[in-house]
Amino acid sequence: MFFRMLRQSFVRGRRRKALATITIVLAASLITALMNISIDVGDKMSKELKSYGANINAVPKSEAVPLEIGGVDYNPMKDKVFINESDLPKIKEIFWHNNIVGLAPFLKTTVEIAGKEKKQVSLMGTDFDKQIPVAGDDEFRIGVKTVFPYWQVTGEWLDDNDASSILAGAGIAREMNLKTGDAVKIKISGETQKEKVFTIKGILSTGGKEESAFIASLLAVQKLAGLEGKIQSVSVSALTVPEDKLSRRARHSSESLSSLEYDRWYCTAYVSSISHQIEEALPNVTARPVWQVAAGEGAVVNKIQLLMIVVTIAAFIASGLGISSLMVTTIMERSREIGLMKALGAANREVYLLFLSESAIVGVAGGLLGCLAGAGLSQVIGLSVFGSFVSFSPIVIPVNIVISVLIALAGSLMPSRLITKLYPAEVLHGRR
Amino acid sequence: MAGDKKLKVSKTKMFLRIIFKSLKVRRNRVFITFFSIMIGAAIITALSSVYFDISTKMSRELRAYGANFFIGPSSSSGSKAIDLPVIEDAIKMVPPGKLIGASPYIYGVVRLDLGNAVMAGVDFAGLRRLSPYWQVEGKWIVVDFDDDSCMIGKTLAKNMELKVGDSVNVVRTETGFQKTLQIKGIAETGQAEDEQIFVNLTLAGKILGLEGKANHAMLSIVSEGMDIDGLASQIQSKFQGIDAKPIRKVSYSEGRILEKIKGMMALVALIILTVTTLCVMTTLIAVVSERTREIGLMKAIGADNKSIVMQFLSETLMIGLAGVAAGLIAGFILAQVLGQAVFGSSISFRIIVLPLTLIPSIAASLLAAAIPVRMAVNVVPAQVLKEE
Repeated sequence: MFFRMLRQSFVRGRRRKALATITIVLAASLITALMNISIDVGDKMSKELKSYGANINAVPKSEAVPLEIGGVDYNPMKDKVFINESDLPKIKEIFWHNNIVGLAPFLKTTVEIAGKEKKQVSLMGTDFDKQIPVAGDDEFRIGVKTVFPYWQVTGEWLDDNDASSILAGAGIAREMNLKTGDAVKIKISGETQKEKVFTIKGILSTGGKEESAFIASLLAVQKLAGLEGKIQSVSVSALTVPEDKLSRRARHSSESLSSLEYDRWYCTAYVSSISHQIEEALPNVTARPVWQVAAGEGAVVNKIQLLMIVVTIAAFIASGLGISSLMVTTIMERSREIGLMKALGAANREVYLLFLSESAIVGVAGGLLGCLAGAGLSQVIGLSVFGSFVSFSPIVIPVNIVISVLIALAGSLMPSRLITKLYPAEVLHGRR
Repeated sequence: MAGDKKLKVSKTKMFLRIIFKSLKVRRNRVFITFFSIMIGAAIITALSSVYFDISTKMSRELRAYGANFFIGPSSSSGSKAIDLPVIEDAIKMVPPGKLIGASPYIYGVVRLDLGNAVMAGVDFAGLRRLSPYWQVEGKWIVVDFDDDSCMIGKTLAKNMELKVGDSVNVVRTETGFQKTLQIKGIAETGQAEDEQIFVNLTLAGKILGLEGKANHAMLSIVSEGMDIDGLASQIQSKFQGIDAKPIRKVSYSEGRILEKIKGMMALVALIILTVTTLCVMTTLIAVVSERTREIGLMKAIGADNKSIVMQFLSETLMIGLAGVAAGLIAGFILAQVLGQAVFGSSISFRIIVLPLTLIPSIAASLLAAAIPVRMAVNVVPAQVLKEE
């Protein structure tokens, strides 16, 4: 009997049920989309924020403190310690290797330009866009193009195997009156025999200290300085999660962590734990977070995440209220039916049961459809804003269905109570 | 003619009477309609207010990345230092309220107890606002005229075996200046600062023998809504021998990030706007279609279709206007709650939000009322009254 009534109610009140379902679908899709986005927005924004450049800097554990002013190092080259270039792939093989999006090796020497008065300039060798063999990732490319997307070259970028061309920093080019196509004779300061003529292929603007330096391919600088296979520092761009209490404590003294906390710290993509893992992979290297990028990123990502969460909550409350008000209408509309049921001897319990199961069915159906629509909606946002798919978190589905059903039930409970309290005769007469 | 007029007056009177009666008798339904329109309007108001403010707000947040503007001696002038008053005047050209922080820098090599190091003279109060990303162990130097303290980079501290609270002897060989400073804080940035020692500008001037000079200045400027390249050329043309430029690394990324955030907010707001409007519509359709019997009765006693539609629309319009008004207030309060929760500052009210809320809300409610009424007026009264 109960099921027959339930079925009849859906068949007869088709339009009414459709309306209720549509509302729940709309609200549920909204919540699904927003929840999906706010779960994924941290990762997405963190990728976008990679345009600020490297967030970890790896240097050899050297004893000498560089005496660097304006990009020129006043310490002699001799007592420098180096990293082996062949160790580079190891950085991409750490626990968080998937989060390493780019690396750029650097070798820096101080040079003099022949024909100009004795002025010391720094010459940086780096890779621009080079493929290196990494276990598990055949396509991995290193170089400044991925790590420093804001570097801009007027003219041509260099090729990684090109040992006779050079890029001039915008500052130095202006100072020395150099143009693309000019040839410059460069020699290592203090060592007369190490010199070479380079052709300027482009002018580099970065807004940083690279503007007052010459940039050549790593190979060229290694050859010139007689340091084959050596590099001096590595800039690493890694996807990280914002710092929190745990990571700050770990940074201060990793001994103070219990083994459980240590594991949690190690297995979270904090900038400090990734640095630590790089140090583990390359034993004679210190990896330091570049706090300008790491802390700035943390602050911004936290803000955006918070914004999305707050917006989601607001939309959630609004759609909850929307659904409830619809449920109230659909039930009040049926007051005569309730009156009739009661006049025929139905107990309040039975009336509730019927109405609540109707709402539950509508809630489940609406929630499911809403999840589908919401998943589509979040992909639309992901594709048009970030140009990539938003990862779908399965947790959203059960949460959403439970929420839809609960809201639908809550919305129907109140008016059913109101109506069942009335006398059947009054309701049937149409007073309410 | 007079009779006509009288008829017209009584018709209007009747019309108003029906509306008010209907609003009064069906208080429950009126309340639901009002309530759902209000919720819809509130959420639209709140989100569009947040959307219009997001660039300004996020632009400030992005200042966490530190300096985005550089002032230094131009390469053509050949000198490495500029006079401090010139830099201060140049900094003053940034509109107040847009400047987050600024500090001049002066550099030189000094001898510490265990070796040489680069000393930087800075304005600590400005530097702290300029570079909120510095990880400082110990304390920042807060007073500008503190001539007995210094801050020191982490790598330097490690190599020189210095800790917070230790004293360090600073000697400048060229000037013969010697002073013992107490280390107030150890700073970590992961960049060149890690190998430097920081003292305030005047002390550095005395030590290095370069009083009243600075090598360059770094500024942090809110770039949203202002022409930062224009500012650079203004400064350059006003002061001779000065090079002023935005720092590409930061300003380039900032524009991109702001675009992304704005785009995301716009889409989210648009989706919420559409969905809430549709939600309001379904509720209103439910409320109005419930009144099919009433429409049948009105038709049975001689009302024409047009006046029935008119009556329903005016009713909805009245409730809708009240709902939107309440929604605007509620939405503005909600926007403040959002602003305080996320950015810790209030969201300004913009006049554009008014039509943006009013038009979709009212249009949706009228449409939602019109659809079921149009369907109902076309039925045969007897059928409706018999509840078919």
